[in-house]
Amino acid sequence: MGGKQPEPANVSSKSESMATNKASPDLLNSLSFKSLKLKTKQQELLIRVSILGLVYVLAFIARLFSVLRYESMIHEFDPYFNYRTTLFLTEKGFYEFWNWFDSESWYPLGRIIGGTLYPGLMVTAALIYWTLRFLRFFVHIREVCVLTAPFFASNTTVVAYFFGKEIWDTGAGLVAAALIAICPGYISRSVAGSYDNEAVAIFALLLTFYLFVKAVNTGSLAWALGSAFGYFYMVSAWGGYVFIINLVPLYVLVLLITGRYSMRLYVAYNCMYILGMLLAMQIRFVGFQHVQSGEHMGAMGVFLLMQVFYFLDWVKYQLNDTKLFQTFLRITVTSAILVGGIALGVGTASGYISPWTGRFYSLLDPTYAKDHIPIIASVSEHQPTAWSSFMFDYHILLFLFPAGLYFCFKRLSDATIFIVMYGLTSLYFAGVMVRLILVATPAVCLISAIAVSATVKNLTSLLRTKQKVPQTGSMKGAGSSKASSKVLLDQSQPFQKNGAIALLLGVFYLLSRYAIHCTWVTSEAYSSPSIVLAARGAHGNRIIFDDYREAYYWLRQNTPTDAKVMSWWDYGYQITAMGNRTVIVDNNTWNNTHIATVGRAMSSYEDEAYDIMRSLDVNYVLVVFGGVTGYSSDDINKFLWMVRIGGGVFPVIKEPDYLVNGEFRVDKGASPKMLNCLMYKLCYYRFGELVTEYGKPSGYDRARGVEIGNKDIKLEHLEEAYTTSNWIVRIYRVKPPTNRL
Amino acid sequence: MVVGTNLASRFFLFTALLFAAPISFADSEHDSDLIAELISLRSAADSGVIRLDDDGVSRFLTSVSTPRPYSLIIFFDAVDLHSKSEFRLVELRREFEIVSASFIANNNGSDVTKLFFCEIDSTHSAASFHRFAVESLPHICLVDPWMDNLQDESGQMERGDFEGLAESMAEFVERRTKLTVGPIHRPPLLSKTQIAIITALIVISIPILIKKVLKGETLLHDHRVWLSGAVFVYFFSVAGTMHNIIRKVPMFLRDHEDPSNIVFFYGDSEFQLGTEGFAVGFLYTVVGLILAYVTNALVRVKNLNEQRLIMVLALFLSFWAVKQVVYLDNWKTGYEIHPYWPSSWH
Repeated sequence: MGGKQPEPANVSSKSESMATNKASPDLLNSLSFKSLKLKTKQQELLIRVSILGLVYVLAFIARLFSVLRYESMIHEFDPYFNYRTTLFLTEKGFYEFWNWFDSESWYPLGRIIGGTLYPGLMVTAALIYWTLRFLRFFVHIREVCVLTAPFFASNTTVVAYFFGKEIWDTGAGLVAAALIAICPGYISRSVAGSYDNEAVAIFALLLTFYLFVKAVNTGSLAWALGSAFGYFYMVSAWGGYVFIINLVPLYVLVLLITGRYSMRLYVAYNCMYILGMLLAMQIRFVGFQHVQSGEHMGAMGVFLLMQVFYFLDWVKYQLNDTKLFQTFLRITVTSAILVGGIALGVGTASGYISPWTGRFYSLLDPTYAKDHIPIIASVSEHQPTAWSSFMFDYHILLFLFPAGLYFCFKRLSDATIFIVMYGLTSLYFAGVMVRLILVATPAVCLISAIAVSATVKNLTSLLRTKQKVPQTGSMKGAGSSKASSKVLLDQSQPFQKNGAIALLLGVFYLLSRYAIHCTWVTSEAYSSPSIVLAARGAHGNRIIFDDYREAYYWLRQNTPTDAKVMSWWDYGYQITAMGNRTVIVDNNTWNNTHIATVGRAMSSYEDEAYDIMRSLDVNYVLVVFGGVTGYSSDDINKFLWMVRIGGGVFPVIKEPDYLVNGEFRVDKGASPKMLNCLMYKLCYYRFGELVTEYGKPSGYDRARGVEIGNKDIKLEHLEEAYTTSNWIVRIYRVKPPTNRL
Repeated sequence: MVVGTNLASRFFLFTALLFAAPISFADSEHDSDLIAELISLRSAADSGVIRLDDDGVSRFLTSVSTPRPYSLIIFFDAVDLHSKSEFRLVELRREFEIVSASFIANNNGSDVTKLFFCEIDSTHSAASFHRFAVESLPHICLVDPWMDNLQDESGQMERGDFEGLAESMAEFVERRTKLTVGPIHRPPLLSKTQIAIITALIVISIPILIKKVLKGETLLHDHRVWLSGAVFVYFFSVAGTMHNIIRKVPMFLRDHEDPSNIVFFYGDSEFQLGTEGFAVGFLYTVVGLILAYVTNALVRVKNLNEQRLIMVLALFLSFWAVKQVVYLDNWKTGYEIHPYWPSSWH
């Protein structure tokens, strides 16, 4: 890790020093100046590399709070699946992994793992693991998985540096690297232990964008090729690649509209699109979708449009006559639009081009998901964003962003147009779904970095010019700003210097507050693994609830190896990964009917549910209950979603049956169906005898703050098998059918 | 399972029809009077939805012996709840009217006298609400000719049936009454004259636009337009506007205890009100733009005093805006967000 960062930094500074040498050949004439200049250059290089190195380390260690607070473990839900598959990959090898049919989930359907996941993350972790073993570092695969996200976050800072350098200057690059290293919007999904696709995907996303912008700026095939491979890595890692394949064509389209078509753009986009597409189709989960589904059609359309542009250029060159050319233009454009429209219409009508998927619809028309797809609407990270979340995740970046936009527009180039478009589109999507704040974070950091860097540069150049006029030559070598500083040079008044010092101090003060805020947010909000819960006791001491793992280990130790466990889909991945038992549904929500069947069982009366459970061969039922501890994201609070999802497929389940005047209640006033459904019974079984809080009656639910309505629960077809120490997880055994005589 | 109940109800309907047929001759004259009265009421009403009051209910329903010669489909309305968007009463009532108007437009024969669309409002006819045992709104119920007990839940339209709006309501009516509603006629989004004007405008402006595009003089070529668009998108996003659209959040709420007190800010970090989002988004944008202005435009101002004055003003304004945002955030989320100045300054 430590040996990695100086190498790219060296390369960059070399190319830069060459560029500046070319820019000021007159300085080379004087020998004394040259030696002095080399010295400052070296100093600057040293400072830059050490700053980058520190940022690299900082990005890594800022994400270790969760390991220090708890222990080195995998967090949340999806990462457990990723961990389980990575383990399988390292044990059985790549081909076994690729062909893996998993019979332990989605019983009795099973799941073809190799064809239904993005393998990028697992392969990356496995490669790191094998490399470490080759170097004789014998670590456990779990440690590799836990630390993959911080490691890639560090790499992202390096990419951010180069990206910032490409769109603005080295100063902006350094600031961008520092900002993104600790930005809470990114940390929220890349702390140690959150071993999820996003961990590597943000790195791949930014890398692809950087390489593409570089390719557009240089017109070089090599960079475009790099960008295509970056895209391939992104496709292999995360479904969010759809954002790239729509943003890049949109960007190209904007350049075409604003008259910025160039050969560089032609080379960059064509190479990136064609190669990227061919590579992306190698991922089984994507496959031919890349040329068939509506989400990818924009890219193809822009590709064809590029050819039209190129063709027109060529014809114009051949014809040499403006009038003739304009007639030609009119005919070709009309016929091209006609043919395109017909092709799209026929493709869609014949079903060759599939309509857009629900998740994508819900981005463009956000009310779509809410009305049509409860399984998408139910996930908390798919909720729309309120303003306070932006404040929490971006802090001062929010104020810097408009200023950065202003700077970008002051100095429009192909690169700044790209970053502005990236920033705005991703910010819009971040407003639609909370989790997409993550995608917007790199753009927000880069644009804010431009604002900080340009402001600081303006101020410092003001300070420096006041000192001595002859030093301007060396100052230029240090990479100071061009256009804006000249404006400042014109007027140098004594007041300005003091003002500049004050403002500089102000800027550094604000940045330090940003750093404090980020560290605090990371340690307070984003470092809890959610599988181990922590609470503050009455005396400020920490209380740890480790009930989940207790329950899963109980399952692993005390149930037959072929036992089938039914639970709500949230816990599916964890049960298979830690409990090593077969589950009915899990977090890969591919089969809505199957999930609805479980939802129906949970919301039916016990005898009806028993028939469903028998038909699914269920042996154990697991529910999560927060009534004793006051843990609010338990199954009772998720229950309405089970009813909705169940009712969406089985109309016998009706939401109003569980509500009283549109209100969801569990106390005495609850609806009779609610008080007797399976979920209620399993959660509150024997709870009526328990006194949870001093001064409250028995059966007082602390998560909802009410006394429960049905304290005398009798189970007929199920029996309590295990309840964890804080009652968070409760497991019931499904009794075999009684003998019929 | 749905098919099952449907079959059962059909069978029930059939047997009921067999038994009911002889009785229905008895007071056919009285029946035709009632029908004539309903038709006149219907023609007087907007889109054919008859407004029933307590008298009307007893006259057309309770005092008429079964089987009645007509079915009534009743929409239970409450004018005082129209302001609450979560009940969707206004929307559903509009759809109900569309179904009614479509039914009348599509049926000319005898079928048109067999079904009448009615509404009952809670403010004037609370007794009828009680008689139908209406507990929650929205509530739509079909009173078929054989229904004796008005509290019978079998005629009630289920939530799923009005979820898909006019089309599914019509489907419900067709399923239950065996009458055809026919295609739904929705009023067009724009009237014909409006469409004509818009087309004319577009046709006139196309040549001008083309000329401008060719000359490169459009707004698209002005980067100030793009900049303001960009700032707008920023404002739109950080103000949580998408949140407001998706959740259909009102701009403000009225206090439950004191209706004259208007609530603009909501103390829950997962939820926000319209005004609240716009206010904070506006503060964000203002500070950002001030920063850009100070570093880019202010430095060009020649007059020193002017420069100082604007600078002090800008600093003061940003300070105030940031203070407000931090205060609001602390209040809303309960987290003590680290402010931009030492905490002892409070």
